[in-house]
Amino acid sequence: MALAPLTLLTPGTPGRVREIRAGDELKGRLTVLGLLPQAEITVVSAGHGSLIVSVAGSRYALSRGIAAQVLVSEGDRPA
Amino acid sequence: MTAPIRIGLVGNPNVGKTTLFNALTGARQHVGNWPGVTVERKSGELTHQGVAIEVIDLPGIYSLTAYSVDEQVSRDFLLDERSDIIVQVVDATNLERNLYLSTQLAELGVPLLLAVNMADLAEEQGDCLDYGRFAGLFGLPAVRTVGSTGEGLAELLDEVVAVSRAGRPPRVPMEYPAESEAAIAGLVAVIERDPALARRHPPRWTAVRLLEGDEHVLASIAGSPVAPAVKEQLAGVDAIENEARFADLRYSTIADLLPRVHTTCARRTSPSDLIDRVVTDRYLGIPIFLAFMWGAFELTFAASAPFGTLIELVFGWLGEQVRGAIADPWLASLVGDGAVGGVGSVLVFVPSIFILLLVLSVLEDSGYMARAAFIMDRLMHAIGLPGKSFIPMLVGFGCNVAGIMATRTIEDPKDRLIAILLNPFMSCGARLPVFVLFAGVFFTAHAGTVVFFLYVLGIVVAIVAAKLLRATVLPGSSAPFIMEMPPYRLPSARTTLLHMWSRSSMYLKKATGVILIGSLVVWFLASFPVGVEYGSEASLAGLIGHALEPLVAPLGFDWRVTIALIFGFVAKEVVIGSLGVLYGAGNDPGALAGALAADGALSAPVALSLMVFVLLYTPCLAALATIRKETGSWRWTGFSVVFGLSIAWVLSFVVYRIGRIVLGGA
Repeated sequence: MALAPLTLLTPGTPGRVREIRAGDELKGRLTVLGLLPQAEITVVSAGHGSLIVSVAGSRYALSRGIAAQVLVSEGDRPA
Repeated sequence: MTAPIRIGLVGNPNVGKTTLFNALTGARQHVGNWPGVTVERKSGELTHQGVAIEVIDLPGIYSLTAYSVDEQVSRDFLLDERSDIIVQVVDATNLERNLYLSTQLAELGVPLLLAVNMADLAEEQGDCLDYGRFAGLFGLPAVRTVGSTGEGLAELLDEVVAVSRAGRPPRVPMEYPAESEAAIAGLVAVIERDPALARRHPPRWTAVRLLEGDEHVLASIAGSPVAPAVKEQLAGVDAIENEARFADLRYSTIADLLPRVHTTCARRTSPSDLIDRVVTDRYLGIPIFLAFMWGAFELTFAASAPFGTLIELVFGWLGEQVRGAIADPWLASLVGDGAVGGVGSVLVFVPSIFILLLVLSVLEDSGYMARAAFIMDRLMHAIGLPGKSFIPMLVGFGCNVAGIMATRTIEDPKDRLIAILLNPFMSCGARLPVFVLFAGVFFTAHAGTVVFFLYVLGIVVAIVAAKLLRATVLPGSSAPFIMEMPPYRLPSARTTLLHMWSRSSMYLKKATGVILIGSLVVWFLASFPVGVEYGSEASLAGLIGHALEPLVAPLGFDWRVTIALIFGFVAKEVVIGSLGVLYGAGNDPGALAGALAADGALSAPVALSLMVFVLLYTPCLAALATIRKETGSWRWTGFSVVFGLSIAWVLSFVVYRIGRIVLGGA
């Protein structure tokens, strides 16, 4: 399945994280929050500058800059 | 008597930890500061089964890697100061992420107990837990708690006593891959050659953290004789790879075990998602937010007015009584005018600050404030700050001291510094009475509009200042924005009141101390040299006013306004009290309004220029003291003074000149 940045995931549709193309520090922070490859993720709301995602049972606001570095595939089947 | 059992209370942010802490300790709390930083240190005492227990409430953390000042405090406590037992408050609705921290804490070698909090919410969502199985599967005893109602607290304390008596550290069944285990064993052998180091933390934990490239741990072994041997072992280790691999391992361990304690009893869609879709909507979000804010300010001013008047009356009466009761006129004036009058003039604003902070606490505890930060993120981003920095700005409308302290959650030090420097431009509650008085006298019909535009001006100046700081002294772009959106909940009255109290009492403490001293200085300057009429041209205050008059004459200010502004440095509301003294109107606002209207030196343009100046000039003493503490730098504190003064002077000058053309007058 094609990979797309999280920013392009349709709100309400579940997706699965495939890859995180971020620097090490940011990657570490996301990992701790449960945002890591294979995690199921849903975009709850896409605002103007950032989006709210639901992952690992919590909701987080992420700036678009971060979301663009998270590659997801639509659908919630594991790879 | 034995030493009390010391509990370190930790947990992820937004898991109801502070609610639980309050429920455990009630009013028996001490609020102090952690050494070296200004993060509050909250501890409390209680007795259970005849055993004395001390609870220390640590700032929320997601892991043992610290990104903000708050998180550093928790990490340092857990690693260096330590407690007899760690109680981790975990959110029952989100065990997976919460248990990630548990897997790290478990390796610290300190007895660990889980308080599975907000269990009622999880059960409502259809998640039931088998608490007995936690100890078997995770090696961690767990107790079901509901902090807001106090359910499960007695059982929690029973376990605290039992677990800390047994003194057994937990055993989480985590198995690292064979090659990592070999590396860990190699490091452990080296670490154990330095007994001091091996005693500090369990060698296995130190080894794991070293393999993950924890810089804090790396720095802490620098002085050890085995440091070179450790470095040798670490050569060729890919810390980043390890960190990712271990994190994965922690999550997969949790994911394997979780289904065995976690059963689903019914399913419902989360109402939080529905609310979020509406309040964070691209188009509805901002109008809803503005409506909330407008409501908050309306409520604040309407509800606090009667209390303010009451305090004013009480202090007026108290001043009279004191002046009447003390025979010596000097002493009577010092205590009556200086101390009582000065402190009273500030306490008048306490009700509005308390109520505003109460409203903000409700918004925060309900989970809405995090959404407000999300909604405002785009705007904040445009001025080069993360959305998070919006909350301190909002709090700044109540009191800049509280606002500056609220910047602590901003991780990036540059972002935080800018947020601190901007805060004084948020028109705090203390400036409002000055605006109300002058706008009322000189812009009778349009007073409300003038005051509204002053608030807007403050915001605009903050935006421009942020851009300016970004472009010059603090270059860079705002740190990427990640912020948890806690689920919506109905805040409990008790929690919200305690939240408000912990913020506003800080204001009270700071304000009363600084302002008492300031008021006495004002009194001294207005009373000496001996024999002059209080606050007259011949007094020290008058002389200073005259000396500085040329500097502010281009803004339309005469010596009296100059003195009032100098005194306003203590606290901006003091401007009114000083003018009252200088115009011989005492504490009677009606008389002062009449005197101001009658003074030929004052006019609408001067009033406008004065209000702009009061809005923007140098933060008050209490705010400066806070800036100094929070930035830890006199240089930035001084910068804040000069920055505010320069902007105030330039804008007042512009407003005064334009005002004279448009409105006419002196």
